[in-house]
Amino acid sequence: MKAKKNIKRTVGALAAAYAGLFCVFYFDLDGKLLYYVVEPFMKRHFDNMERRDPHTVPYEQIDSEYMKK
Amino acid sequence: MKKPDLKKLKEIDFKKAAKDFVYGKPHEERRLGDLYIPKTGLYKHREWRGIKDTMYYFNNIWLYNYGKMVMDIVELGGPKGLIQFLKGTWRYRWMGECYLTVMHWFDRGLEGMRGPALRASAWHYRAMVNASITQIVGMFVRDQNLGGNKELHDKTIAHDETVWGGVFYPYKDQLENIPLQMIPYFVTCHVNNHVVLNYIDAVQAYGLPGDPCPMCQAEAGLFIEDDVPDFYPALVTTNEACDGSVATSVIQDWLINKPLFAMPQPMQFDDDSVLENCAKEIEGCFRFVEEQCGVEFHWDELVKHLEAQNELQRFEWEKWDVDANTPYYPINGVAQALYRIFQSQYGDRPIWHEVDGRVRKIMEKCVEEKIETFPKTRHRVIAWSCAPLYYSNWCTWAYNCWGLNTVINMDSLMFDMEIRTDSYENCLMDMAKYHEWAPMRRMAVGGLHHIFELWENMEKFNCDMVMMYDQLQCKGMQGVVGLFEDEFRARNIHAIWMPHALPDKRTIPRSQIRQIINDYMTTVMGEEPLDPTLLDFDDSDSW
Repeated sequence: MKAKKNIKRTVGALAAAYAGLFCVFYFDLDGKLLYYVVEPFMKRHFDNMERRDPHTVPYEQIDSEYMKK
Repeated sequence: MKKPDLKKLKEIDFKKAAKDFVYGKPHEERRLGDLYIPKTGLYKHREWRGIKDTMYYFNNIWLYNYGKMVMDIVELGGPKGLIQFLKGTWRYRWMGECYLTVMHWFDRGLEGMRGPALRASAWHYRAMVNASITQIVGMFVRDQNLGGNKELHDKTIAHDETVWGGVFYPYKDQLENIPLQMIPYFVTCHVNNHVVLNYIDAVQAYGLPGDPCPMCQAEAGLFIEDDVPDFYPALVTTNEACDGSVATSVIQDWLINKPLFAMPQPMQFDDDSVLENCAKEIEGCFRFVEEQCGVEFHWDELVKHLEAQNELQRFEWEKWDVDANTPYYPINGVAQALYRIFQSQYGDRPIWHEVDGRVRKIMEKCVEEKIETFPKTRHRVIAWSCAPLYYSNWCTWAYNCWGLNTVINMDSLMFDMEIRTDSYENCLMDMAKYHEWAPMRRMAVGGLHHIFELWENMEKFNCDMVMMYDQLQCKGMQGVVGLFEDEFRARNIHAIWMPHALPDKRTIPRSQIRQIINDYMTTVMGEEPLDPTLLDFDDSDSW
């Protein structure tokens, strides 16, 4: 009896999850989350990231030694 | 509470509404343009394609591919690969802003598709996602910026995305080859074109002029922004497609500061002496790889992968045959173009074979049962020259709006050859030829008679219209605009010039591209749109 109940619950939960995912799909909720929340957040993160200054990179060419061979 | 309008309720044809629910609306009644949220390209809701196709899209495309986008990472990189993947997502802009938007790239390319066309085109997309993840995971598990595996790093060769991956087949059992820019630049332009603009702006802010090819600008910008993983001890570059990419290599060479082998592709590749020289350069590349990565040339490995690649080529020819001579070809214009260029340039990988097997089944069913896959085709279009990367799905829009079915494109036709494996000499000569026939070089900037191969391909694929891409910053192709104009007039061919700036949507917005096509279709062809809601909509800030 208990097992039957558990199975029913599991099937119910899976069905609800499936229906929920279908809603996410159909109403493009994944797109809206990514567009309005995730992308602006990531953009801010990358805009504020410290990056190497190309001016600090010397013009040495180690591969020129290879080309002389 | 507002009373229901009984008059309106009475007007509803419930029988038809039920039929539309089960089978989807007829093409002319879909009103796909009404689904968009202005500016964003997002959907108020995704398209209802009838029960069967909607559930196929939900289960076999949306759920399946979201799942696979996680599973592929674990399968290819193991649990540690997943951690490296997350680190890479946080470290590199092209990754962090792009990866999760992949399913919307599917959406844009597959809008309005039904039945076999939906299925076969989606499989092509799936293959590209897997091939992309292969590269992404490959880069991140080796990336020294992320504390990646040094041993794997030392057994990896990086190369320009326009160097054919097949050059490294003799070493496939000992090392991995990963293109430098195929994911950070090429794929991201299609998936989320907001990202590439950062790299174009970075290189121009650094003082480089704004008028060379924006592909070369963006590829150089990746290095100016220090946004490329350190996954390789040495790299192979090329001059392809033009002198703009030579300049890119110079900037890369400076900022990467690692051993580099330059393997240029000749402009006039028909000359046999040029072919011999190119073959020698490939052998030089072999020596370079062996010295830098400590690997040996394995002839059997080369033959194995070339034979596998030849098998892919033979299926591509079968596809072209169905495409050219029947209305049963199940792959839409954008899936055809992107899959083919990705596959033929990256080289042999298991996913191409798996997907070709699935697509073969779908295609054979269409032929056997005579299923017209694009029933609203009014014109069979061939797309020529280099396409706008930020609007590669224009052909999906053009079919839905106007019935313009882009059956083939120039990039698909470039690597039109098998490679002999009967002797080392023959093999090397064919490899040299394949290498010379690189994207854009093969036709676009490979000599006038090659760019004019348009006419024979138009005939071969039974096309009655040309979509002539006009990459405004390609100096090579700009030079032949007048010649094409003359030929179009002399041959009485309907051709639409589509201006664009390859990855940069700011120069020619997508709405302007649509307007140009709309104008031609109404004023010259005198036709009515199949779906008027698609004529004019604002997707200026979309991915």
